[in-house]
Amino acid sequence: MTGGAVARTLAILRKELLDTFRDRRTGTVTLLSSILAGPIFLLLIFNLIASQAERARELTLPVMGAEYAPAVVAFLERQQVNVTKAPADYDAQIRRGDLDVVLIIDDAFGTDVAQGKPGVVRLVFDRSRDRARASIDQAESLLRGYNRQWGDQRLMLRGVTSSVANPLRIETADLATPQQSGALVLFLVAYYGLFASVMGGMAVALDTTAGERERQSLEPLLMTPARPAEIVVGKWLAVCAFDALVVTLTLTGFYLTLAFAPLPPVGVPFLFGSREFGRFLLVLVPMILMLPAILLYVGSRARAYKEAQANVSVLLFVVSLIPLVQLFMQRKEPPWLMLVPVSAQYSLLNTSLRGEAPALGQLALSWLAPLALIVVALVAVARRLSKESILSGK
Amino acid sequence: MIALERVAKAFGKRREVHAVRDVSFEAPDGAITGLLGPNGAGKTTLLRMIATLVIPDAGSVAVDGLDVVAARYAVRARIGVLSDARGLYPRLTARENVRYHGALHGLAGKPLEQRIDTLFGTLGLAPIADRRTAGFSQGEKMKVAIARALVHDPATILLDEPTNGLDIMSVRMLRDELRALRMQGKCLLFSSHVMQEVAALCDRIVVLSQGRVVAEGTAPELIARAGTSGLEDAFVALLGSDEGLAA
Repeated sequence: MTGGAVARTLAILRKELLDTFRDRRTGTVTLLSSILAGPIFLLLIFNLIASQAERARELTLPVMGAEYAPAVVAFLERQQVNVTKAPADYDAQIRRGDLDVVLIIDDAFGTDVAQGKPGVVRLVFDRSRDRARASIDQAESLLRGYNRQWGDQRLMLRGVTSSVANPLRIETADLATPQQSGALVLFLVAYYGLFASVMGGMAVALDTTAGERERQSLEPLLMTPARPAEIVVGKWLAVCAFDALVVTLTLTGFYLTLAFAPLPPVGVPFLFGSREFGRFLLVLVPMILMLPAILLYVGSRARAYKEAQANVSVLLFVVSLIPLVQLFMQRKEPPWLMLVPVSAQYSLLNTSLRGEAPALGQLALSWLAPLALIVVALVAVARRLSKESILSGK
Repeated sequence: MIALERVAKAFGKRREVHAVRDVSFEAPDGAITGLLGPNGAGKTTLLRMIATLVIPDAGSVAVDGLDVVAARYAVRARIGVLSDARGLYPRLTARENVRYHGALHGLAGKPLEQRIDTLFGTLGLAPIADRRTAGFSQGEKMKVAIARALVHDPATILLDEPTNGLDIMSVRMLRDELRALRMQGKCLLFSSHVMQEVAALCDRIVVLSQGRVVAEGTAPELIARAGTSGLEDAFVALLGSDEGLAA
């Protein structure tokens, strides 16, 4: 590149940045939503986790027919369960979500047990309600615990050890570190990081391509000595700069919220300190460079901003779908995944959130496809700008 | 100086739309050459070819001896174009709009700012130089577009229907400005479908119809050639119909 080419490219970059920061409406909406996204979203998630933990700790169990099995009720109360009387319309209340779980004790419980038959207790709940799951699980495991304890006592009365009836002893060792739990939170944070890199550059990229054409300022620009390549690179750098700003602000929002906001104490579901902040940025660099190039290409194919917006929704759909597919696949990730843009980044973001450093080899692989796509997209835009057809259709 | 020789251009998938068929003419320095023709006569295509944005299928176009295809960037540095599309950046001020194009033409710093001040002074834009162009009137936008086209002091100036949408005061201002540029020895090529405008301003007139030159000369020459009493009748006679010609 000659000095003139560099000067012209910089002139284009400078003008595009000035133009972007003058656009108060788009700028404010984009920047505000990126800064506020982290705090709002983390507050909601943490409150959800906290309330679930709360429910599990302080189980309130409405019981119907407590008088038929006083020993069961006494056991539950010894286990810190708050036993209440179940309302008559308990099933409707469960459906509405007012009650999590209700215990029904069969009125024949006493006679059944006396005749050596199992006494029937029934747990009523709606498992589709995420909120209730902790209460359901706890009530169930308490009843199973009581069942085993009672059975063991009966065996002991007959001189048999409890291991006869329980030949298997199940021991569990959960290897999840504190930051490995909370997989959903992990998913959402990584997802949002990726999303910021698409949304960050969108308005600017479309405005500078389709918008420029719509405003009729493209033809005068093409009549200057600026080469198509210089125009494309200048615009691309401007979009990348804005995109990087939005991603950084989004991550800063997450970081500051986790570091300083009065979030409910739920244990640490994941780590997001300054180290993870840096790793996130490192992983997202190829996206910050690639997505603006693709957005410019989409924008350059449209005659007007609105048309470009419609086309870009396809890109949005693909980028937001890939992590979801990965979430539901639940398989160990194949090595070639690093060659798939978006997928690779999503996977590396998750690695970072688990407190591990992304392997350098993987990072390098994750750059390959984005780099190729950047070149292809920018060359395609430059070629479009040199075509006569770009002038038609105002 | 602009020289066109046997230029042709067709558009469409099978090149079935012949915008320009066989056009030759010259536009000398120190003169305003008018390109007159009804809508669709090929005026915009011709100007775009001279401005290096459209490549001729046949023939050659040269600006000051430089071929518009082989030396397109050298040509772009020498021409100022007020094209049919003359959009400004609404969020930038008048000065920033002009400065941007100045920078793309390799100007910078004090010389650029001085040049902008001079242009804005002549065009009467100084009071609104630092306002955003979003709220400008048609006339004000036009003046900024002219300043933008002239920022690098080009020797050749192309204007595509420059008076479209302008009020009478702005049209008069534009005429004065173009005459001043002629005095400086510039080569001006001015396209219009309004014959009064062309007659009032141009030293030479090239009449285009359906992509061909149908007549060329000064206004009196054209009247004499058509054998009519006035200019309007001469144009109608030369074109064979008055379709697309504004009174």
